[in-house]
Amino acid sequence: MAEKIYKGGEFLVAEVTCDEVFTPEEFTDEQKQIAETTEQFVENEILPHLDAIEAQNFDLVVEGMRKCGDLGLLMIDTPEEYGGLELDKATSMLVGEKIAPAGSFSVAYAAHTGLGTLPLVYYGTEPQKQQYLPKLVSGEWVAAYCLTEPDSGSDAMNARATATLSEDGQHYLLNGTKQFITNGGFAKLFIIFAKIDKEHFSAFLVEKDFAGLVVGAEEKKMGIKGSSTTQIILDNCKVPVENLLGDIGKGHKIAFNVLNVGRFKLAACVTGAAKAALLVGVKYANERKQFGQPISQFGAIQEKVADLTADLFASESLVYRLAGLLDTKLATIDKGIDNYYVEYQKGIEEYAAECAISKVFCSDVLARVVDEVVQIHGGYGFVSEYPAERFYRDERINRIFEGTNEINRLLIPGIILRKSMKGELPLQAEAMKAFESLMTPSFEELDDTLAFAAEKALLQNLKTLFLILAGTAVQKHMTALANEQEILLAAADIAIQIFAIESAVLRAEKACRSASEKKKQWLEAAVKVFAFNATEIAGTAAKKGAFYVEEGDPLLMILSGVRRFAKYDATGLLQAKRLLAHAVCEEEKYLF
Amino acid sequence: MESKFKVNTEGKWYDNVDLAWRMNEYDEFAVEQAVQVKDQVGEADVTVLSIGIDKVKETMKKALAMGCDRGVHVNDDASYAKDPFEIASIIAAFARDKGFDLIFTGMQSQDRGSAQVGVLVAEMLGLPSVSTIVDFAFDNGQITAKRELEGGLRAIIKTQAPALLTCQLGLNTPRYPTLPNIMKAKKKELLTLEVATLLQDGARQETVKMYVPEKKGGGLVLEGDVGAIADQLVQILKEKTGVLA
Ligand SMILES: Cc1cc2nc3c(=O)[nH]c(=O)nc-3n(C[C@H](O)[C@H](O)[C@H](O)COP(=O)(O)OP(=O)(O)OC[C@H]3O[C@@H](n4cnc5c(N)ncnc54)[C@H](O)[C@@H]3O)c2cc1C
Repeated sequence: MAEKIYKGGEFLVAEVTCDEVFTPEEFTDEQKQIAETTEQFVENEILPHLDAIEAQNFDLVVEGMRKCGDLGLLMIDTPEEYGGLELDKATSMLVGEKIAPAGSFSVAYAAHTGLGTLPLVYYGTEPQKQQYLPKLVSGEWVAAYCLTEPDSGSDAMNARATATLSEDGQHYLLNGTKQFITNGGFAKLFIIFAKIDKEHFSAFLVEKDFAGLVVGAEEKKMGIKGSSTTQIILDNCKVPVENLLGDIGKGHKIAFNVLNVGRFKLAACVTGAAKAALLVGVKYANERKQFGQPISQFGAIQEKVADLTADLFASESLVYRLAGLLDTKLATIDKGIDNYYVEYQKGIEEYAAECAISKVFCSDVLARVVDEVVQIHGGYGFVSEYPAERFYRDERINRIFEGTNEINRLLIPGIILRKSMKGELPLQAEAMKAFESLMTPSFEELDDTLAFAAEKALLQNLKTLFLILAGTAVQKHMTALANEQEILLAAADIAIQIFAIESAVLRAEKACRSASEKKKQWLEAAVKVFAFNATEIAGTAAKKGAFYVEEGDPLLMILSGVRRFAKYDATGLLQAKRLLAHAVCEEEKYLF
Repeated sequence: MESKFKVNTEGKWYDNVDLAWRMNEYDEFAVEQAVQVKDQVGEADVTVLSIGIDKVKETMKKALAMGCDRGVHVNDDASYAKDPFEIASIIAAFARDKGFDLIFTGMQSQDRGSAQVGVLVAEMLGLPSVSTIVDFAFDNGQITAKRELEGGLRAIIKTQAPALLTCQLGLNTPRYPTLPNIMKAKKKELLTLEVATLLQDGARQETVKMYVPEKKGGGLVLEGDVGAIADQLVQILKEKTGVLA
């Protein structure tokens, strides 16, 4: 695996090589087996009950979680002392990916293992961990995470829920309402955020049976109907002082660090959901005949299959590249040290921008996949007898929770610029160089003998373009840039596409070394199709951004840069799409 | 299926490039049964053996994670070219001095499907064998097995360990390994032996050729009103055959 440890956001200024990224081709035998166990669990224990789960027979969800516990699927992130296995992030994400085809059940699983369990693992005291973790790891108890309130969603720190120390100093009395709480209907342990004395944002471990905790009615939802979503009402809820989680006034750390993890896990889950949905679409396209032939033989359908396959390849490559970044970093921390989890948090926070990128990019890919899978089904995609309709509804929430995609996109340039300001990333110096290259014409020839030479040149160019745009925006708006959301969103979109293209290219390059001739062609085709599509998105974002930040001659200058740098020679694009589509339709599986 | 399996250039086996590998289904029943016996009797030591290229170790790890205690990988780049007699003689050579009480094999392999290896091993070791078992009970060395026969008949066989049994679909439901067991299996012994050290006998059969059978013409299903179908049928018989001539 990677030797050099890249800093968060460094991909925007560095030239990363394929030996430095982790790819799914490198899963260990154990990881592959864990994936297989997860797949079999979903196929045998969840999918047969999916209709009942969708009808909110939550006993089946609770029972399913118990079975997850028996198989060890809830042990991944918990240390061995508390009944866990403490495996790496790649494994955790792989399991997330494989559990995702379980639809609503996977939402319960993700909320429990991620948001519900991790605050305790990271911030719990020894007695707290002893008391609760074994129950969560075995699936005896399901956990929930309660941050959102009716009046504070994205603006989570503005919570109104309060905690007041009782007169005898033995309890905190919690008051307030938590909104949209996943697993609310059957969770036994709630991680609840409230402000002590209306001021100090803090977290609490609250058992369902503590007096004053009331579970609200089930929300009637558009999708993931088989997941429980309720209000949690706190009416002088009596929480023993020992159940304060972490330090007083440090709740935001818990809330946000756990969200970083939640984001990359969600990225893995949606990638799994997208794979499953595309497969259903492809099988349908092979079976459905119109005009005397399977619709999978029409170019219109093939193009969808090819584009989505390329998107998925990028999505998967990105997810596991991030897993590799995190695992490499976290492996450098000595498990014996007292402040292990403090360092661990810092390790994850280092890649907060990449976590946000993964959340936005992969959930957007799923959105495109389910939309086109409905389209491939025609009218049958619109009726609930076929699964395409559920995929479409279930997808929507992924762009809303774990931080809306807007909030996550805004975070990306924010984090990167802050790192630059702190001197952690040489953004300013690199931006100067980028401006220079804008002034000087390029005569560089591509070295065709190098693998993916065109794509690597493209990446360099897109990075230059990002730096030009971000540099201009900073110069223009200085600290007020935070208020120029349209510009920040454009910059985020370029950064997202850069990370995605780079992940796809580096993985393909690495995989090509040991791939069969046939697979090599698939990899090259996927890269070509994705690089073309992503460049168009990045180019549009850059152009938009240029019009937002500049006018007159400087604008013309940047626009000429957009033309020059967001350029990709996709010769053979049609053949690449047909190759991919034929292969996917013939194999009826995800190719990579 | 056809598109996924292509005959290799030698024309004697299929091309395994890009194929996903997994444990032979019947061998999964065998592994499961062995582990169940171990669970039942407590004191037992289960060895799983597989012959093939290095990649089969990946599959063997699954058997270890299911509960086998140790693995023996017989390294052989050309196992696919060996006939059932050679494969059996390799297994027998390994097992001869080990004193196993029970040997479970798959009823057959899903690729070659000869269904000979298990019973040949028993013969070579001078053990009783019971083939195609769908039920198994073990009591202090006494074996009671149910066999599946032609036409849905069942037979109950009793024999005494040591014995060899070949496992058929329906015998059990193989467990999927739990995560802790997958991680524990990592530390279990997985010995590799070179095939040359075990192979003492030559082949008795040779695969001359492997090929995809020619496609026969597809059938025709007539649909609709009975009267209309009858007319249509007569028409076809007249036009395409001499039956009504
Ligand atoms: C099914 C479901 C399950 C959920 N599970 C949980 C859970 O288990 N625990 C939990 O704590 N929460 C949970 N949530 C809540 C979820 O995280 C929030 O809905 C989400 O954070 C958005 O908050 P909001 O709904 O208040 O929307 P708002 O914050 O009101 O946002 C509305 C719109 O405004 C945009 N917006 C808001 N602020 C800004 C800004 N500063 N700049 C630009 N745009 C902005 C948003 O992007 C969005 O488009 C769940 C929600 C749902 C629907």
